[in-house]
Amino acid sequence: MIMLIQNMMMTFYQREINRIKDICYSNERQIDAVVRTRNFIDNNFDKEVNLILLSNVGFASKFHLLRLFKKYYGQTPKQYLTDKRIEKSKENLKKGMTVTETCLSVGFECPSSFSTLFKSKIGLTPIEFQKRATFAK
Amino acid sequence: MRAKIISIPVQDQEKALKFYSDKLGFVKKVDVPLGEGNRWLTVVSKEEQDGPELLLEPSPNHFEPAKIYQKALFDAGIPYTQFNVDSVQQEYERLINLGVEFSIKPTEMGTVKIAVFNDSCGNNIQLVEMK
Repeated sequence: MIMLIQNMMMTFYQREINRIKDICYSNERQIDAVVRTRNFIDNNFDKEVNLILLSNVGFASKFHLLRLFKKYYGQTPKQYLTDKRIEKSKENLKKGMTVTETCLSVGFECPSSFSTLFKSKIGLTPIEFQKRATFAK
Repeated sequence: MRAKIISIPVQDQEKALKFYSDKLGFVKKVDVPLGEGNRWLTVVSKEEQDGPELLLEPSPNHFEPAKIYQKALFDAGIPYTQFNVDSVQQEYERLINLGVEFSIKPTEMGTVKIAVFNDSCGNNIQLVEMK
């Protein structure tokens, strides 16, 4: 009875949150594994990160972890890592690092591939981005 | 094509500008008078001033269905939009101290932590922290 009254006092959105939690987020072991994996990427994006390493961190086999990560974050670990690196590279370019320094500082190895990737994601080359950021100051 | 504007309906633009600046910490970017007291008014995140602009638009005062839609969302507790923060708990405590009302306290939800507050302009806004 008390549960029923509590349920009636909740807003539509609160009931929806509880419903979605039950449907999507009831497996704590899986959530632990993907959260641990994501935190590892956040703290090690500047080093070489691969699926074998991540599967050790997440205590799951490579392809199981890949599926879980995609299920909970909607992106593969590789896509997430790339976005993280690009986000950090924008910060470093704004601070005045050269393109090569920036490329290496966020875990990419080849400055020309980095510039191509940066342009495809941001719409400007790293140098153009840096010029605009400096001009905006 | 680029997505630059996130529109938020507000009942009072001046009050909204005060709330979004003084309490939430956004910074005014564009303020163009559009006659009869209406403005094209945008704010941006202080840490990301080249990021998306929030357009605080007075639609509920001029278009009845907008007013009805805003009220229906508000009454159902549904957030109009959401902002990302590094720590939902810290932001919750900071905003509570500034007198902001929360309909959902910091709540773990799988890979995110969320909280929902009243923006005092007719909307619920959700805070999200990725875990």
